[in-house]
Amino acid sequence: MNLVTIKNMTKRYPIGNSEFTALSNINLEFEKGEFCGIIGPSGSGKTTLLNIIGSLDTPSAGSTVVLGKDIGNLSEKEAAKLRSRHMGFIFQTYNLLPVCTVYENVEFPLLLINMTPNERKKKVISALEWVHLTDKINSRPNQLSGGQAQRVSIARAMVKQPELVLADEPTANLDAENSRNILDAMVNLNKELQTTFIFATHDEKVITYLKRKIFLVDGKVTSDGK
Amino acid sequence: MLELKLAYRNLVSAGLRTWLNVVVLSITYVLIIWHQGFFSGILRQSEHDMIKDEVGGGQYWYKSYDPYDPISLDESHGIISPKLQSMINKNEATPILIRQASIYPNGRAQSILLKGIDPSQKILSIPSGKLKTDGEALPILVGRRMAINNSLKIGDFLTIRLRDSKDAFDAVEGQIVEIMNTRVSTIDNGQLWIPLKKMQEIVEMNGEATLVVLGQNVTGLSDSPDWKFREQKLLLKDIIDVIKSKRIASVILYIILLFLAMLAIFDTQVLSVFRRRKEIGTLIALGMTRLRVVRLFTFEGAMNGVLAALVGAVYGIPILVLTAINGIPMPDVVDSLGFALSGNLYPLYSAGLVIGTIIIVMITVTIVSYLPSSKIANLKPTEALKGKIG
Repeated sequence: MNLVTIKNMTKRYPIGNSEFTALSNINLEFEKGEFCGIIGPSGSGKTTLLNIIGSLDTPSAGSTVVLGKDIGNLSEKEAAKLRSRHMGFIFQTYNLLPVCTVYENVEFPLLLINMTPNERKKKVISALEWVHLTDKINSRPNQLSGGQAQRVSIARAMVKQPELVLADEPTANLDAENSRNILDAMVNLNKELQTTFIFATHDEKVITYLKRKIFLVDGKVTSDGK
Repeated sequence: MLELKLAYRNLVSAGLRTWLNVVVLSITYVLIIWHQGFFSGILRQSEHDMIKDEVGGGQYWYKSYDPYDPISLDESHGIISPKLQSMINKNEATPILIRQASIYPNGRAQSILLKGIDPSQKILSIPSGKLKTDGEALPILVGRRMAINNSLKIGDFLTIRLRDSKDAFDAVEGQIVEIMNTRVSTIDNGQLWIPLKKMQEIVEMNGEATLVVLGQNVTGLSDSPDWKFREQKLLLKDIIDVIKSKRIASVILYIILLFLAMLAIFDTQVLSVFRRRKEIGTLIALGMTRLRVVRLFTFEGAMNGVLAALVGAVYGIPILVLTAINGIPMPDVVDSLGFALSGNLYPLYSAGLVIGTIIIVMITVTIVSYLPSSKIANLKPTEALKGKIG
């Protein structure tokens, strides 16, 4: 069964009196356990596509069905529920909550789904073990290096063991060694938990790790290397 | 609650910005309570002094008596009714006779009110007992303000010119036997107090009075054709109205204070929403609804009010308790405000005042915090994640 099914999807943005087409007639399917990436230059529509899959935005035409839910027809509350229960996000700039410790940042998604404290603790520790950051539990984001912060971000995305993780340029701010560490961690999680990873990237380091490469140019899929 | 916990963390971690808002707001709390307590104290003290020195438990006025009409004053006297006389005999009431007169301190003519009071009366707490003298001169009691304004002192002689019941002019020589220290200016300025019996003899109005003051625990009788009952509340109305009008000025002051504090919080909230757009986007991406994010930011602002109440309590309670116990020394100049004050003023801080102030400030802070935060409800998460405001 497909985790994500995108059919004839188009996304347009109003610019003044005219419209700009960010994505045009996209048809894609993603299955459980995939480790794939949307690749393209800046402005090709990668982030827009990722945002629509992540229910942060809606398509202008066509349909995008994620885990059986049509993104275009979801209310704000339903979209929030879908994200909080079934999706994890990894951002280029990590986007950790600055006032929370590493532990609290990773715990945050679990607080949104009302998990018991004991269960939360177990899952947070386990997520921090995946990314080898148990020694930084009480550190604040501003006390971490870029690589460590991105690993916290991965732990936060993975802690509830979502079906789908969306990573927008996760290595753009990292050096080669940290990028490799991060990607290794994600590959392991993908294997171990069968979590689907979709990347938006134009980073060669990431591309070499991908099992499926979808090339996007000017909002159109030019190749889908399954 | 997740929003509350996160709001507290954000607020505390904002450091100096939070504490500046909190300090300003706490000063607002303390000043509002202090100022309102100050006026409650004035009201309580003025009421108490007026009841004690002038109003008693209410008064019977002769039918034509109008304290604001000097023209009819000389006609406003009559024989005390038997029922009132019986109360006077039982020391439940005391009569006062009022006439217009003139005195000539330092060679200047000055119109005054001459008031006759029973030197043995215990209804009012003015020192009328000092009027019991064996001297030949008519004993006179004056208030401190009257003495200062006319350079009078104990032992001074005064010529009093007045008209008797038949409109014949007469003059008597009196000697000041006591200068009373009263906070009630309406029994002081421009008035001389002399023994009632002697005054009745001089003006040929035996058994007559202008008004009869009742004791505080005496209930009023029904009106008679010549004597009208004026209840205590009515007699205090003027002073209460004056104090209320002064209180309005204090309310304006605290609205300005509150406005300044709210401006600081509003400003902080606007900046906070603007500066933390990416955080807002992240919270939404992690699964928070926009409504919950609005709630988080509103809580953050509203918590300024809670922290300010706590900080205000730390330094405000000692200040307020100290002034409530020791009073605030009042200069004589406050007499010019239009109500009786001097000596120490004891502010009155009621639980209602404190709780009411906290509630008003909290509600205002919450509304002011909500207004900028509500912008988040229209924010697109994709724009927020890019650090843009929608």
